[in-house]
Amino acid sequence: MTATLVAPPTRAAGRRARERRGRTRRMLYWIATHATAVALGIAFIGPLVFVLLTAVMSDNQTLTDELWPHSWNWGNFGEVFAKSPILLWLRNTMIYAVAGTLFTLVSSIPVAYALARFRFPGRRLAFLLVITMMMLPPQVVAVPIYLIWARLDLTGTLLPLILPMLLGDAFSIFLLRQFLLSIPREYTDAARVDGCTDFRTLIRVILPMARPGIAAVALFQFFYCWNDYYGPLLYAATNVDSWTLSVGLASFKALHSVQWNLTMAATLLVMAPVIIVFFFAQKVFIEGVTLTGVKG
Amino acid sequence: MAGVPLRRREGFRALLWLSPWLVGFGVFFAYPLLATVYFSFFNYDLFSLKFNGLANYRYFMQDERAWLSIRNTAWLVVVMVPAQVLFALGVAQLVTKLKSGVGFFRTLFYLPSLVPVTAGTVAFVFLLNPATGPVNRILSLVGISGPDWFGDKDWSKPGLTLLAMWSVGNIMVIFLAALLDVPRHLYEAAAIDGAGAWRQFRSITLPTIRPVLMFSAVTGVIYTLQYFTQAMIASRVAAGVTDAPGTSFVPGYPEMSTLTLPQWLFQTGFRDYAMGYACVLALVLFAASMAFTLILLRQFRGFEEVAE
Amino acid sequence: MRFVPLAAAGLAVLTLAACTAGKEGGPALGSQSKPSGTAPTALPAASIELWHGFSADSEVKAFTDAIAGFNQKYPQIKVKLVKGVQDEQITQAVRGGRPPDVASSFTTDSVATWCKSGVFQDLNPVIKQDGVDLSGLPPVVNDYTQYEGKRCVMPLLTDAYGLYYNKALMKGKQPPKTLSELTKLAKELTVRNPDGTIKVAGFIPSGQYYENTAGHWGAMVGAKWTNPDGTSAIGSDPAWKTLLNWQKELVDWYGYANLDKFRKSLGDEFSGKHPFYQGKVAMGIDGEWRVAMIANEAPKLDYGTAPMPVDDAKPDLYGSGFTAGTVIGVPKGAKNPEAAWALVKYLTTDTDALVTLANAIRNVPTTKAALESPALKKDEHFQTFLDIFANPKTSTIPAHVNSVFNQEALQGFITSWEKGSVKDLDAGLKGVDKTIDAKFKLSGG
Repeated sequence: MTATLVAPPTRAAGRRARERRGRTRRMLYWIATHATAVALGIAFIGPLVFVLLTAVMSDNQTLTDELWPHSWNWGNFGEVFAKSPILLWLRNTMIYAVAGTLFTLVSSIPVAYALARFRFPGRRLAFLLVITMMMLPPQVVAVPIYLIWARLDLTGTLLPLILPMLLGDAFSIFLLRQFLLSIPREYTDAARVDGCTDFRTLIRVILPMARPGIAAVALFQFFYCWNDYYGPLLYAATNVDSWTLSVGLASFKALHSVQWNLTMAATLLVMAPVIIVFFFAQKVFIEGVTLTGVKG
Repeated sequence: MAGVPLRRREGFRALLWLSPWLVGFGVFFAYPLLATVYFSFFNYDLFSLKFNGLANYRYFMQDERAWLSIRNTAWLVVVMVPAQVLFALGVAQLVTKLKSGVGFFRTLFYLPSLVPVTAGTVAFVFLLNPATGPVNRILSLVGISGPDWFGDKDWSKPGLTLLAMWSVGNIMVIFLAALLDVPRHLYEAAAIDGAGAWRQFRSITLPTIRPVLMFSAVTGVIYTLQYFTQAMIASRVAAGVTDAPGTSFVPGYPEMSTLTLPQWLFQTGFRDYAMGYACVLALVLFAASMAFTLILLRQFRGFEEVAE
Repeated sequence: MRFVPLAAAGLAVLTLAACTAGKEGGPALGSQSKPSGTAPTALPAASIELWHGFSADSEVKAFTDAIAGFNQKYPQIKVKLVKGVQDEQITQAVRGGRPPDVASSFTTDSVATWCKSGVFQDLNPVIKQDGVDLSGLPPVVNDYTQYEGKRCVMPLLTDAYGLYYNKALMKGKQPPKTLSELTKLAKELTVRNPDGTIKVAGFIPSGQYYENTAGHWGAMVGAKWTNPDGTSAIGSDPAWKTLLNWQKELVDWYGYANLDKFRKSLGDEFSGKHPFYQGKVAMGIDGEWRVAMIANEAPKLDYGTAPMPVDDAKPDLYGSGFTAGTVIGVPKGAKNPEAAWALVKYLTTDTDALVTLANAIRNVPTTKAALESPALKKDEHFQTFLDIFANPKTSTIPAHVNSVFNQEALQGFITSWEKGSVKDLDAGLKGVDKTIDAKFKLSGG
């Protein structure tokens, strides 16, 4: 890793030729990298394009292996609404995602604040436990937790998924703590000297400065709920009134006896909101993801 | 003010702030873990609870499907995680080399990772359908006879790996940030030294981003141990016929090749109601994920000591 | 530190949760003394929920019509219908404490479990109380609706399975009566494309194709599922070997990959794109309900129906088939069990209701009165299935607490087998036995 800064001796003769070679090489390099990027881009976006193409095919054509639709049946999207209660699924998904996100923020910010700012015995242990919880496969503790909700008569609803978020979400706590650590201590110390209570410090000083972190956590949680399949499958699958988009989509093809075209139309409808939100909040996303990768 | 009383006071305040999470920790972590151990010694179907000693453990030892599911999960850990990490690293490295359109390509590569898992999986089962899907059709145009992907036990996991690589955007963005953090001047110096691209990568890039790489690999392993949704949906949609009302669904289609440990746990516990036995499987899963979590914890503990 | 008291608290909760049982949501059937007059109007107003497995449009409509008949008698009881429900959803809902008032299943697979574990309420007390006469039920139906003396479901309608064939594709040939005839005809009727891929299949011998389940096929060779003690008979009954060897020969004739590709290009089983409607498959095993679907979805199809072909060595089986019915009952914890029972009783014993449903869905009605009712529309196809149902050799999958698990085990094996992943058939079937028996032992059997 130690690099010498001494340039190798160059002779004036042949320098120009080398420069020309260098330019050609740079040019080729540019073409090569960009061509690879474009090829990869096609591979990444291709699946979505084919989903769209199939979504507008006629019933008969989806039973063939042709790639391009003969006719553009935009009515397929309307058909999805007519054949399945997709609006109900959307409503349930929204309830889960919005309530889940709000609850998570309200409960996780204080915890992250305490872990990042207070010095107390067991602080490190608490943080390590947060990480352990974050990494615990949800299936490990599924049986006893299911029993709790069954006793409370809440299975068949989405409440077993939403209510626990009032007690903090490990991943959100972890992420917020990482972000809060990056806020210099001087700010909170200054607030303390001014006689602010912990609560006022959090509201007045920390929250405004942590806005990007909070936005990222909110988005992650929203998308987590939106995409969650395991949770709704476990708790809500038995009650068709509580189905979410992911549960509905998973059995869409078989349950509604439809062909691939309508299935792909439904798939697109499930994807669309997420992709739209992404284009509006791209920066928050990318920054948030970067935050999850930092070393500690 | 003396330091110790202040610390003690902070401790009480911290306890207050942490209390909701502490309740959550007790109810959704500590208690269920203990209860899982407890139930593993019982025959429990949600209605009647009968002590049966080690019968669940003995059944586990000879439950072929449990071992098959463990092997499948292991396959995913050994193949899918490295494939994801290496691919993400390659893509990120490529983006750093681009002179124009960086933002555009980054968005493009990140986008699929946002697609809801269910939707992405359903889409991939269609894309890879041997009879009507476009992938094999395109392969046939260049003279390759594509495999049966989600209908063939040897190709279903590679199919899932493709899906995983397609939605690798998160890791890619993390790597990209790490790569851009590597001080420029190190490369310049190395270039002057005459180090080639590969040497630069090995002796500068890799050591600098090693912690990020480690973190992604370990969390990747832990998430892969939980691998459920994609496998469940892929087998469900690919099997198609077995999903009709009245018939029950067997995960793992085709031929148990996509049956992962969490799915088998779900099936025995919440479809078959052999909940005591499901707890045994849960403990196996817990042991595996805990082993990797410990690696992660060591990394974090090390960092904390340096920081304070 | 904090972990210790928490753990102690956890243990305390644990002992509480340990005695968890599905809690009672509503009173049990027959636990309340009934008002002496059993006039329909004596029941208090209620709204109840009924879950059923039907999902095809025509079937859902027929069910709705039958409920309309119920509402003329009981206008004060509102019924909400939920369609397309699977057994596992019913079981999970009851165990989770959110049962519907009435639930119906397409299959009899779960009856044993439901009776044994009490997921459904025992109907015997109210049957006695209301003086319902069940002597008109055929014995095979009587068997599949009860387990160990508990009758926890009533038979709603019955399915009988036979052979469907496309007359145009058969070109005047008679339907096969034995498996070897089926093989011969299947080969003759198969049409291949120039590149060797399948254009029309005479018969699809894959166990993964629609109604080709081990259960339905077992009837063709008279195969036994279990021994009287509940252990598996699959490895020891040579009939399964006969069946699987017959199947493998035909699969290999097509070529597994070829057949598989063809199968994946076919339209959905419960849609108007069914390959049988489209002339892509000449013969297939299907239930009697297909008659009604063809009438709705492919009215121009010229087809015939016959009993399934049988093992060449057991010609006396010809004429019989597989039967299993739709069952309906009142889950444990139903909020309005009395109203629920009134609905179940109406749907399963009222001749008009049964005939209405049978005519619309073209399922076989289960009571003698309904079978003999002049209002029951019969045609040549339906008569085929009525005869299969009435045949004394017609069989069903016996009630077993792990019925679903057992079928899955065998079905999974068949999938490996047809693909050619199994080298030794005997050892493979013994392996299925082992899987089933170990599970049986675990479930306290």
